Amino acid sequence: MKRNPVTLKIFAMIVMTDLGESIAEIFFKKGLLETGINSVNFGNILEFLSRNSSSALVWLGIAVYIVNFFIWITVLSRIDLSIAFPVGSTSYIFIPVFSMIFLGEDVGPERWLGIALIVAGIHFVSKSSHKRDGDR
Amino acid sequence: MMLKIIIIILVAELWGTAGQILFKKSANKVATPDLRSMASYLTFVKDILSTYTIWSGLAAMAAGMVIWLVALAQTDLSIAFPIDSMQYIVAMVAARIFLDEKIDLMKLVGTLLVVAGVFLVAVS
Repeated sequence: MKRNPVTLKIFAMIVMTDLGESIAEIFFKKGLLETGINSVNFGNILEFLSRNSSSALVWLGIAVYIVNFFIWITVLSRIDLSIAFPVGSTSYIFIPVFSMIFLGEDVGPERWLGIALIVAGIHFVSKSSHKRDGDR
Repeated sequence: MMLKIIIIILVAELWGTAGQILFKKSANKVATPDLRSMASYLTFVKDILSTYTIWSGLAAMAAGMVIWLVALAQTDLSIAFPIDSMQYIVAMVAARIFLDEKIDLMKLVGTLLVVAGVFLVAVS
């Protein structure tokens, strides 16, 4: 069991996987829209899969996922899963903030409150790693 | 209807969490890499990819993703996303049971704050 604290480097790696995940989602979404199929059923699933597998954007999304996987297992080699997992909720902060900055979307008060709770939660969870509970 | 969606999402989360637990078991099995050394990192990658838990973890995660898509096919993202905030509790409890990771007050409070925050962001 590893009980190392969340260092800045580890935190940066977790944030990178969150950013990667958000970017991959956008690639997938754009790729899916390009296939021109908007509902999948048993009749067209093969065509859906073949159109997706010829989409560069879908492959780009998969490539980002593979990079993310290697970053994530590196994170897990350093800190507890029950710490890494909630800290990995930063995408819920980035998506609204980026949509506000780059897409000019409004971020309402509930969303700001939610963001504040996530920040506080990540702070507390990261603090818990400093307690060793006498296991070392 | 709502209960059915919650159950499907919970099942998806259980598979996803099983994947994370298996990933963590793989990471615990092999030596922690020294990130300043490329050779050390490549050894880490080679070692971890030769554990069977990493591959069963990937399979579990793929199963979780398929079930999540099944849930999405029956409901809106605006309903599915807030429900998905339960995953942090599922993961904390599973890590306690299967990885012997302790739940102290800080972790419990922090995780519940994250759940509440994610729920609010997802619902708004």
